[in-house]
Amino acid sequence: MEVSAPAPRRGAGSADPAGDVVTMTVIHNRLVGICREMGATMMRTAYSPIFSESRDFSCVLFDRDGRMLAQTEFCPAQVGAIRFVVKWLIAELGEDAVKPGDVVVHNDPYRGGVHMPEHVVVKPVYYEGELFGYVANIAHLVEIGGMAVGGFAATATEVYQEGLRLPPVWLMREGRYNHDVWRVIMANHRAPRYSWGDLHAMIASLTVAERRCHELLDTFGLAAVREVSDALLDHAERWMRNEIRAIPSGEYEFADHMEDASDPPARDWIRLRLVVQDDEIIADFTASDPQAANVLNCTYGVTASGVYNAVFHFADNDVPHNDGAYRPITVIARPGSIVNVVHPGASVGGNTETHPRIWGIMMGALAQAVPDRVSAATGGTSCNFLFGGTHPDTGQYYVHYHFDGVGWGGRAQADGNSHQVVPNGNCPATPVEVFETRYPLMARAYRLRRDSAGAGAQRGGLGSDRVLEVRAPSITVSALFDRMVTQPWGLFGGGGGDPSRLLVRRAGQPSFQTFRDAFGTSSNSRVANVELREGDQVMISSPGGGGYGPPARRDPALVLRDVAEGFVSPQAARGVYKVALDAADDGYRIDHAATAELRRDEPGPEPSREPTVRAPAAAAQAAPPPPGAWEELTVDWWQTDVVNCECCGQVIVRNRWRAGDGRQFCTPACDERFRTYWLPRYGTPSERRPQ
Amino acid sequence: MGRRLVGIRIGIDTGGTFTDLIVMDEASGELRVVKRPSTPDDPSRAIFEALAHGAVDLRGASSLVLGTTVAVNALLQRRGARVLYITTEGFEDVPFLQRVDRKFHYDLDWQRPLPLVARRDCLGVRERVDYRGQTVTPLSDAAVGELVQAVRRRVDDGASGDLAFALSFLFAYAQPEHEARVRGALAREFPGASISASHEVAPIWREYERASTTIADASVKPLMRRFVDVLDRGLRAQGLQRPWTVMKSNGGQMAARAAGQRPVQTLHSGLAGGIIAGRALGQASGEANVITFDMGGTSTDVGVVADGEIGYTTAWEIEFGLPVAAPFIDMTTMGAGGGSVAWVNKGGMLQVGPQSAGAVPGPACYAQGGGDATVTDANVVLGRLNPDNFLGGELPLDPDLAHRALGRLARRIGLDVMDAARAVVQIAVENIAEAVRLLTMGRGLDPRTFCLAAFGGAGPLHAAAIARVVGARAALVPPHPGLFSAYGALLADVRVDKTWTHVVRSDSLDLADLEARLRALEREAAAELRSEGFAGQPRVQRSANMRYLGQNYEEEIPIPDGPLSPAGWRALLASFEQHYEHAYGYRIANEIVELVQLNVTASGASVKPQLAVLPRKPPARPRATRRVWFQRQAGVECPVYDRADLSPADVIEGPAVIEELDSTTLVHPGQRLTVGERGVATLVWR
Repeated sequence: MEVSAPAPRRGAGSADPAGDVVTMTVIHNRLVGICREMGATMMRTAYSPIFSESRDFSCVLFDRDGRMLAQTEFCPAQVGAIRFVVKWLIAELGEDAVKPGDVVVHNDPYRGGVHMPEHVVVKPVYYEGELFGYVANIAHLVEIGGMAVGGFAATATEVYQEGLRLPPVWLMREGRYNHDVWRVIMANHRAPRYSWGDLHAMIASLTVAERRCHELLDTFGLAAVREVSDALLDHAERWMRNEIRAIPSGEYEFADHMEDASDPPARDWIRLRLVVQDDEIIADFTASDPQAANVLNCTYGVTASGVYNAVFHFADNDVPHNDGAYRPITVIARPGSIVNVVHPGASVGGNTETHPRIWGIMMGALAQAVPDRVSAATGGTSCNFLFGGTHPDTGQYYVHYHFDGVGWGGRAQADGNSHQVVPNGNCPATPVEVFETRYPLMARAYRLRRDSAGAGAQRGGLGSDRVLEVRAPSITVSALFDRMVTQPWGLFGGGGGDPSRLLVRRAGQPSFQTFRDAFGTSSNSRVANVELREGDQVMISSPGGGGYGPPARRDPALVLRDVAEGFVSPQAARGVYKVALDAADDGYRIDHAATAELRRDEPGPEPSREPTVRAPAAAAQAAPPPPGAWEELTVDWWQTDVVNCECCGQVIVRNRWRAGDGRQFCTPACDERFRTYWLPRYGTPSERRPQ
Repeated sequence: MGRRLVGIRIGIDTGGTFTDLIVMDEASGELRVVKRPSTPDDPSRAIFEALAHGAVDLRGASSLVLGTTVAVNALLQRRGARVLYITTEGFEDVPFLQRVDRKFHYDLDWQRPLPLVARRDCLGVRERVDYRGQTVTPLSDAAVGELVQAVRRRVDDGASGDLAFALSFLFAYAQPEHEARVRGALAREFPGASISASHEVAPIWREYERASTTIADASVKPLMRRFVDVLDRGLRAQGLQRPWTVMKSNGGQMAARAAGQRPVQTLHSGLAGGIIAGRALGQASGEANVITFDMGGTSTDVGVVADGEIGYTTAWEIEFGLPVAAPFIDMTTMGAGGGSVAWVNKGGMLQVGPQSAGAVPGPACYAQGGGDATVTDANVVLGRLNPDNFLGGELPLDPDLAHRALGRLARRIGLDVMDAARAVVQIAVENIAEAVRLLTMGRGLDPRTFCLAAFGGAGPLHAAAIARVVGARAALVPPHPGLFSAYGALLADVRVDKTWTHVVRSDSLDLADLEARLRALEREAAAELRSEGFAGQPRVQRSANMRYLGQNYEEEIPIPDGPLSPAGWRALLASFEQHYEHAYGYRIANEIVELVQLNVTASGASVKPQLAVLPRKPPARPRATRRVWFQRQAGVECPVYDRADLSPADVIEGPAVIEELDSTTLVHPGQRLTVGERGVATLVWR
């Protein structure tokens, strides 16, 4: 499927058609190049391994209207959300409030943020006295105060326990430090040196990007770059619409949950109705559970980001990832529900745990429409493990955020990748040698876990085991895991992946036990501020991915290879995959006759993989629309509250659309969507958004 | 290498498509060149064919330097030996665990690369060292014995074929004794075995990068040894008396025997010559700042020489996720060559490369069945390439097929044929220019202060356009541009890089200890130089990798000459801060600085030959004229010169075309080409 050639609007006097075709490609490449260079600067100057080794940050370029022009390949979760952050920030502050040389910082989850550790810094780019756009960097600061070391207060119930919240405030004003803000930040973070260094690295990346923007504008001129940017956004939108047309129109439902490994286990459900209508997608989470009294709530940005991330995984990888590509996708997330947290709900785990679950839920829904282009569930938890203390060798305070890779789900054509970062991020792991040089913990083992992959015709990827031993008198640890109770699911007869585990062995004890057994914590998957002593060991086991298709249909040669390589045990080969192997001197051989016998009644007929398309519900006859009107919100400068759209749930910062019946929407389009889509399905909502 | 200038020097460059031979008469500086098709099944065959074709008498050779892609191709095609990987118990899976990141953000189809080792061949031994190099779990004789037993079992049940050992223990860069002991035990138990130990191959931190590098070395060692042996016997049989050498990825040369011992250092052996030659070309023209631009049939290599210095890196990957951390000249290789295919992506945007039509079927105009429009086809359509003079007329091109291929492309993007052809060339040029920008501006270098050194078969054709887009002052085109990389092999020094990784803080510094470490590195480097065949007094450069406390990436800063005194240390710190501020726009006053790695480079200069001074001839006259299409212009009638007719002091005003056996130089309207006394052509704007 192809779309028509891009047609940038010609500037006056442009008479070189070859030049226009080329300019479009060149400016696109240059915009992406600027973001890459921001990333390189960030990596080289940052203080925390989470940036320098794990690249937990994203660099993005916006036009003056806050539309995303280009992004780098760093962290998908951040990128999906930052387009709201900057747009809303401009709306809140006003375009003329940000001057050349200013840098604004912001981590407020209720106004577009991702979760509290992710800080956005934004700098305007002026060219010859005119605003061209904004350069922005969103990055995970490793320590932001709050109730637990390392910014992951796994047991928090409200935002005030999660750290220092910053609405948009100025770090720099016209190139000079805004001392008051810095002093407040330094006084509230446990490791202020890290914050100082990392915030400077972020600002340095903006400085470099601003310089490169000027070079770009010197070459092409402001008018031409704006014109081509518009064309690039339209181009991406057309392309994405074409990709969506490849999905049969219909409504697809899928649900999954977040969980707490407490006794009994607690569950919070996320329910998706995915509506595909020609070249548009509505991801509707209206039926999801209310906002939870734990940290797994998502901000609107996180939920939307999870949806975009899944659609981008489905679509052609070459679609330019600018604002245009997002336009055909609408996300409906009811304020006050687990997918759209409102004040003062906690949300630190939404980005690392719930985002991958939303990604998986999208895959589960899409599996009904396009079974060949999805995967079974990924391991779906970042295995967040946080620790801090005073290093016995240096006497200095340290803090670190550690995560691990998981098995990904099996696919129609291939096994899932093993030990790979969850889909919300794309961060390399910190090497053992870097880790041990900086922190007083020693790795005792780090390996793939046999039989952890969900079995399948295409099996899932394997999870990993990592054992860390404390080499200091005391360290304080916190952890936030998911998928500890329920297996990552398989598709079309594939088995589930092995769940996650977090175990501890006290010094001198013979075996590992759960945190609940060892320390009496209320949960095994959410742990805050537990003190470990010299010689204690922690074992982090990441989950495996789900399998795709019945395991008894897996090619026996692949099963043989998996056994020889130690990915699958001989027992599982026989019991699950129904492959009989003979042990020989030099390994194993397939006993074909015995295998045929084992598989005689297995696995039955090929499970149906026909897309299960359901027709969209007939659009109800909408009542005649009462007249609505725009109105400006009047908020005192010191107030930090926001309101939400009653249809999609987005934040309304400055101008709201007041419908005739008094409801408030972000745009007239949402007013109409509420009447034509939402009301016919759900009726008049009994519960209104908590105010 | 301190030899008298007698006889001939031989440079050989075995590429994937062609094997180039260049022979220089040391007395006169005259060059002879031969280009033969490569023989990938046995690369030495093409070398002997080229020597025979050029009637080279090896008895008169004072040196022979080889640039080879044997090792890198074996890695890329996974044709190396079976590797047994031995590491610290508990960490056998490190080659499989890798770094957990994905190549693309959003690509569900991506497959994580398998390492060059089977998981069942990854064996652990009980031992452990901590980050300071102190032993936590000693390596017992019993543990070594068990390991040897386990290895024996693996070796015995394995299939036939090459076998090699790769050893990479945790923190072996900080304390190599355990690794060395196991290495010794294996050497005793398996005489003649091929063993690569990480503390020798890549003594750097980050266990996966070190392991991956060591495995790569082990994987290609048996094959490389064999290649060197076969070639050595053949060369000796033909009368070669002198030791011969192989180009290293760091731009130096090493004794052929040493290349067989440490093949991972030769991965860019075939590329390094180009940048060495480019630097020399700049020097001959009085230019210290040179961007080298080597464009061939399938790819383009771009490098930077700033102030006469070449940049180095240790970041290279066989493919995404399989790093090789050895010293490389810092270059960018991209899929942009004459054979690069123009295509329209699903979004309707015109793209060029990285796919290439290769040698077969090749561009449409090769008339070998290729239908895709390539950069070469676009140049034929634009009249820039002479269809009858490609490779000196050995491969006649079919302009009709080029027109038809461009026509098909043009219809898809709604342009006429000429505009489509211009767009194809321009996008290829812009892609290369973006790589140049990243190599220069990305490091704070201003490309407007650089000259472009253009070579490779397709380089001189695009030199003027690239120089203009990046703003380079001028473009230099050497004689024999198509074989200029091989010329670089004649100019290479012997060069050894040594590093010591250890974290030291500026607030608890033992300068005497650092000085002792540096001296030890210098001794090691000098010893290795001697073992690689160098006899004279080496040039030694010291540097330190430094960062602010808490950071994780370092900046490499040259250490001032002389022993490391307190004053020298202050100068080093000042130099770090200055460098840092220049690159990133700020410095952190009074912050503790960490020194992470000491580096010593020892190089032995070879005597550099010079290009011959050309005799003056009457001003060159065009041999013909033809219609050529430039940017934003209808076609213009252009004079066509034969490069052989050009002589010093000739001045040719653009538009013009200069043709020679292995390349074509395009002079745009508004440009002027002048010829230097040694035949180097310089393109500038009037």
